Amino acid sequence: MSTDALDRHAPAQSGIDRALGLLDGFREHIEHVQPTLTGLPVLWVRRERIVEILRHLKAPPASFSMLYDLSAVDERLRAHRDGLPAADFTVFYHLLSVDRNEDLIIKVALTGGDPNLPSVTRVFANANWYEREIWDLFGITATGHPHLQRLLMPPTWHGHPLRKDYPARATEFDPYTLTVEGQQTEQEALKFEPEAWGMQRERDGSEFMFLNLGPNHPSAHGAFRIVLQLDGEEIIDCVPDIGYHHRGAEKMAERQTWHSFIPYTDRIDYTGGVMNNLPYVLAVEKLAGIEVPDRVKTVRVMMAEMFRISSHLLFLGTYLQDLGAMSPVFYSFTDRQRAYKVIEGITGFRMHPAWYRIGGLAQDLPVGWQQLVQEFLDWMPPRLREYELAMMKNALVRERTRHVAAFTTTEALEWGVTGPNLRATGCNFDLRKQRPYSGYENFDFEVPLGQHGDVFDRGQLRIEEMRQSLRIIQQCVDHMPAGDYKADHPLTTPPPRERMLQHIETLITHFLQVSWGPVLKPGESLQMVEATKGINSYYLTSDGNNMSYRTRIRTPSFPHLQQIPSLMRGGFVPDMIAHLGSIDFVMADVDR
Amino acid sequence: MPYRLTRAEEEQESSDRYPMGRRQSSEEYVKSQLERNVFTGKLSDVLNSAVNWGRKNSLWPYNFGLSCCYVEMTTAFTSPHDIARFGSEVIRASPRQADFMVIAGTCFIKMAPVIQQLYDQMLEPKWVISMGSCANSGGMYDIYSVVQGVDKFLPVDVYVAGCPPRPEAFLQALQLLQDSIQEERRPLSWVVGDQGVYKAEMGSQREQKRSQRIEATELRTPDKL
Repeated sequence: MSTDALDRHAPAQSGIDRALGLLDGFREHIEHVQPTLTGLPVLWVRRERIVEILRHLKAPPASFSMLYDLSAVDERLRAHRDGLPAADFTVFYHLLSVDRNEDLIIKVALTGGDPNLPSVTRVFANANWYEREIWDLFGITATGHPHLQRLLMPPTWHGHPLRKDYPARATEFDPYTLTVEGQQTEQEALKFEPEAWGMQRERDGSEFMFLNLGPNHPSAHGAFRIVLQLDGEEIIDCVPDIGYHHRGAEKMAERQTWHSFIPYTDRIDYTGGVMNNLPYVLAVEKLAGIEVPDRVKTVRVMMAEMFRISSHLLFLGTYLQDLGAMSPVFYSFTDRQRAYKVIEGITGFRMHPAWYRIGGLAQDLPVGWQQLVQEFLDWMPPRLREYELAMMKNALVRERTRHVAAFTTTEALEWGVTGPNLRATGCNFDLRKQRPYSGYENFDFEVPLGQHGDVFDRGQLRIEEMRQSLRIIQQCVDHMPAGDYKADHPLTTPPPRERMLQHIETLITHFLQVSWGPVLKPGESLQMVEATKGINSYYLTSDGNNMSYRTRIRTPSFPHLQQIPSLMRGGFVPDMIAHLGSIDFVMADVDR
Repeated sequence: MPYRLTRAEEEQESSDRYPMGRRQSSEEYVKSQLERNVFTGKLSDVLNSAVNWGRKNSLWPYNFGLSCCYVEMTTAFTSPHDIARFGSEVIRASPRQADFMVIAGTCFIKMAPVIQQLYDQMLEPKWVISMGSCANSGGMYDIYSVVQGVDKFLPVDVYVAGCPPRPEAFLQALQLLQDSIQEERRPLSWVVGDQGVYKAEMGSQREQKRSQRIEATELRTPDKL
């Protein structure tokens, strides 16, 4: 293990001590302190006291103000549990403190045929959807949850797909057929019942209008449905309905090798391209103990930032289109075409290059890449100036977006909002600065902040972020380190080709690694990155196999959508459309 | 040219399952054309191709997207690719005003009944382009929540390969659809002909271009731009 890897564990030990100190009053309820490669303290606590413990941790002095993630693991087939408390299912709560820049993972062991635990929605409002998700996908009941319904699967679904005894492949089931009767049943099941959500149908003798927006609506950015309870144009309440884009990526990870899962990550946030590869390969490299060369780190940063710009350009065009401006999308897509010229030149693909590899990159930068990137870097700044002048300084846009759908930092943290949407409220939390990964500490850039957390700030901030990304890419062009594009490590996949034909041993190793995939030691690792839409992380559990035992993908857009009702109550319909445009989500990033 | 017949009103057999209507290949159509005299044969040909020419050059797409492919489809609508060159820039947000639907993205089991409803709401004549591997066959998503190809319940006219296909591929699909529309035979009026929809068997591009493609023996290495 290199010294760098040891350093990664050092903060974890002090973190464990601090976490144990914060939970001094609950010592007898802590069952186990789990050593992991996540770099975070992981504590197992008793199910009965989970609500009190989380409430204690949320309040000062611990002030873990954000429930960053909540999900579960089906432990029943896990072979390497090494002293972990007995469990059929584990539920984990990932807490994040923005003030102290510290995290804590709390785990609860569940046993028996009917796994259940108390709901924590009274402590963290955003636990609502996460608990519905673990009910839907694992069949774990959160007792006391206000509305424990399926979230991702259709209401008529049977079974809990992420359980280990549930088949993964569509081809293991009967082929899909749609009959006239089945069509009617499904459509009937999707019908909205206001009573089920505790909504009134009328007030003072006048009926409310229930407007069904989606799952296919031009301004919903994909297959997203939201049902609005309207009094005239005022939104009394609304219920987002997701799951129309659930591709089962987490289940997919349990049957693809570590290596062959990389292309699936591209399609999580499908405007983010290789940005999605980054947290995954970094997490796998932690498990494998690979330290990559500086050139790999810098190329990864450069391509990730290219995709941040391309994603923000898509955002800018659609955001202004949702506000009623027709032409910006034509401008920004022209720029995107230029960005794709660079991306395609280097990676050979437009949207989903799947270009990062465990321990390196698919290939080295092509000859003449500097000029290609430089052309783009010279093209963009005048365009961004033009956008600012023509769009963000436009009086109509300003009037339309200022103070619309505004929220404060406290509200944002309560709902688990991250990324540009959080920074638009003035909260300075950017993982590239706070917890640098892949060599971001070597770059000179600023973190743009907003003030009001409204639709305008969210738009303006992303233009500024594009400028900073250009600065980062310029530094990559100017100071690209020389060296290998793959780490010299036995688990680098695929291994360097030059070494393949030296003797039969290297050939066999190469063959096994490419056909079966690399085998990683048992353990758990986690990597968070500042992706295009917020914090994206992969929490990997390895059971000593050539594929993952459980892959938890935490995506930023999921909490952003969950926040909508709390924000839109009392607002107007067009404001909601403006808000949807401004939070920049794609449905694959919500439903995975 | 071999034709395929779709009857609009089908006698009820097993047709409670989508896609509705029965498809059969039809030799009779060609025979009946031969039996007719030269003059009326030519006249209906002229009329048909005039109507088809109009139809194929003003195809209005339905603004419908499911996932990643929709981004590339939208890219085809913007200025660098400019779909207006092919007469298809009039995106309609309502299925009732649209001529064709592009299944751009993964077809989910939760979404399938919704897609069917939207398709039913489109008026004849209507066409379907299946864009991308997911819509063609499920693609890389052989997983519990995904329908393995939209043709499990919708009749598809053109399949576009790719994950996602480039905007140029979508534009080519549009042109292929136009070619097939030009060859189509639909009833010219409710009193003329047998009211069947005859679609030409256009053949797979893969087979048509095979000989041309295998001629390429030297491919560019990826280490140069």
